[in-house]
Amino acid sequence: MKQDRHIHVAFVGNPNCGKTTLFNAVTGAKLKVANWPGVTVEKFEGNIEYEGYQIKLVDTPGIYSLSCYTIEEQVTRKCVLDDDIEAIVNVVDASSLERNLYLTLQLLELGKPVILALNMMDIVKERGMEIDLHRLPEMLGGIPVVPVSAAKRTGLDILLHAVVHHYEEGPKENVMDYGPELEDKISRLEVMMQARYPSHAMTRWHAIKLMENDEQVAGEHPMEITNVVDRSYEKEIIQKKYQYIEEVVAETLFHKERMAAGTDRVDRLLTHPVWGVPMFLCIMALVFFLTFAVGDFLKGGFEVALGWISDGARALLTAASASDWAISLAVDGVIAGVGGILTFLPNIFILFLALGILEDSGYMSRVAYVMDGIMGKVGLSGRAFLPMILGFGCTVPAIMATRALETEHDRRKVMVITPFMSCSARLPVYVLFSEMFFPENPMLPAFSMYVIGLVLAILVALAMNRLEKGRINDSLLIELPEYKRPNPRTIRVYVWNKLKDYLTKAGTTIFVASILIWFVLNFGPQGMVAQTADSFGAMIGKVLVPVLAPAGMGMWQIAVALISGISAKEVVVSSFSVLFGVSNANSAAGMQTILDNIRAVDPSFGALNAFCLMLFVLLYIPCAATIGTIKKESGSLRFTLGLMGFWLLFAWACSTVVFQIGSLLF
Amino acid sequence: MTLYEGKKGCAYKVRDMLMEEGLMRRLQALGLNEGTDVRLLNRKKKGALILSVRGTRLAVGRHISEHIEVEPEEDER
Repeated sequence: MKQDRHIHVAFVGNPNCGKTTLFNAVTGAKLKVANWPGVTVEKFEGNIEYEGYQIKLVDTPGIYSLSCYTIEEQVTRKCVLDDDIEAIVNVVDASSLERNLYLTLQLLELGKPVILALNMMDIVKERGMEIDLHRLPEMLGGIPVVPVSAAKRTGLDILLHAVVHHYEEGPKENVMDYGPELEDKISRLEVMMQARYPSHAMTRWHAIKLMENDEQVAGEHPMEITNVVDRSYEKEIIQKKYQYIEEVVAETLFHKERMAAGTDRVDRLLTHPVWGVPMFLCIMALVFFLTFAVGDFLKGGFEVALGWISDGARALLTAASASDWAISLAVDGVIAGVGGILTFLPNIFILFLALGILEDSGYMSRVAYVMDGIMGKVGLSGRAFLPMILGFGCTVPAIMATRALETEHDRRKVMVITPFMSCSARLPVYVLFSEMFFPENPMLPAFSMYVIGLVLAILVALAMNRLEKGRINDSLLIELPEYKRPNPRTIRVYVWNKLKDYLTKAGTTIFVASILIWFVLNFGPQGMVAQTADSFGAMIGKVLVPVLAPAGMGMWQIAVALISGISAKEVVVSSFSVLFGVSNANSAAGMQTILDNIRAVDPSFGALNAFCLMLFVLLYIPCAATIGTIKKESGSLRFTLGLMGFWLLFAWACSTVVFQIGSLLF
Repeated sequence: MTLYEGKKGCAYKVRDMLMEEGLMRRLQALGLNEGTDVRLLNRKKKGALILSVRGTRLAVGRHISEHIEVEPEEDER
């Protein structure tokens, strides 16, 4: 019996095999899950207590192999090689056992305790396949094999039980034989390792990696091995593993020829050579249609509630004989700024519900395939399109998702264009200005922003590719998962996380920004001012008016809104609410007030100006959170600052061109 | 012939793979080796195609499919 009853366990497996679902089910965490490879790009930790053990679980990015070719592989490999990890739960998608076992064989070579969690057994049954649960562990060196269903939360206790017990038992002997020639070299290398690094625990794994010419292993434990390893034996080693897997599969998996015909039928339509792209555009159009139409339908209740709160707060503060500035701060500052944003919650809810269903269905990988031709022409693989779709929800996770791309160069390119995908924070700006200035057909200009953003993103990528004389990229490689019915639990967690983020943002960033905006608009060099025109805000804004005028935005109020919008894009709307003392910008009355006020300042401010403003908001510097993420992910301040300058100039140039040409036409 | 020249719905056996080391290793880790049976599930006229390999589906670009030498297999379907 060990003294310390702490176990450190890593969840390792192929991409999209259900590691994170299982991790969530075991730990009660709420990490994002979706049905496309590469959702988890960082490791996450969680703690649970089981049978008196403190188990520390680590969820890792999905990998196909323990090599170092991708960022995910590097992250996960570093994690499992860490001496702290005492046991590995190898999560395996039982419905594609053959491919998944390749990683299993590599994990077994580490010599650490491995527990096989056979996930998705329900799908295996559904398809009429059978797995011999007695023969499988026998052929894998006697490790415990536990059938689980992460989605239905079955088998979890048995799994934890196996973790605790296998941990105490320790590892088993070698599973497979590479044949006399390779085994001879491996054992010679092992002897050399033991002589040179006596404390080393994973000699067999290291020996095999040395045979594969793995640079990292060779660099960490340098040895003169040229007399044993004259070339890379990686190909032979991989082939031997798959040969063994074929034996395993032949003995343990039955009826494997019965493939899921449903996925093929759906794919015939969704990945059609001609109709694939139009189908994708229709699906996205439907998502945004629902966001606007259903979201607007739901927002009525919010308006009433917000009206009550606003009036109630004013009455309460007046009754408590609070000073004028306190009432103004609470009602015109905080309630206007934060409350106005909260009324867009129904739209945000519908948007994320739709995106969640899309991500969980298995369609995302298909989009990478469908868009590969277009993306290839701008020098990116179809995979680069996945972060861009995520950008429709929020740019921050989209930037993180670029980790799944092959090269650092591609990642940076995608970071340049991803903010052009209209995120949910731009939605309030579009809704507000479309409904104010395009009352007959508000959905059209709002929609157009999504399309314009997408088109400009591709054009900018194309320009970058031309500038660096890049060629067509056609090295797409992505796994296409089976389609499945979206899991209500997964969707609920996904949508709730997004709404929570939105509410948190409203309570923190937007709250603080609203107070700051209120302050700069109500105070001037002489103290509190009666007219906002005498405030600090006006002074700052007026400096920028000559710059913004050619783009049709020559109002100091807009300058203030745009500057504050860098904290978070919704704050552009908050600014207008605070500026004109509107408690609910998303109501007919609120919009009328803002419209009247804008017209009072500049009677010529019309639909074209509003369109240019929306365009500018789409393209200019993204929110502070995005900038922070780009800085972190690119690791370069210079790159980040350069990008900010580019976005600002690009936004200004586009808006100016549209406004100048538009002014001539209309 | 190369995989790129393959027809939709047909089965092939991989004969040889000739491409950069890193990419080839990744494909091999996915189970695409010399001697592996693949089936072409779908394809665009010029460009990416969808393969069935060892019970999973992979979408691969032209760069990959052009550098995989295959031979047609008797179709048992």
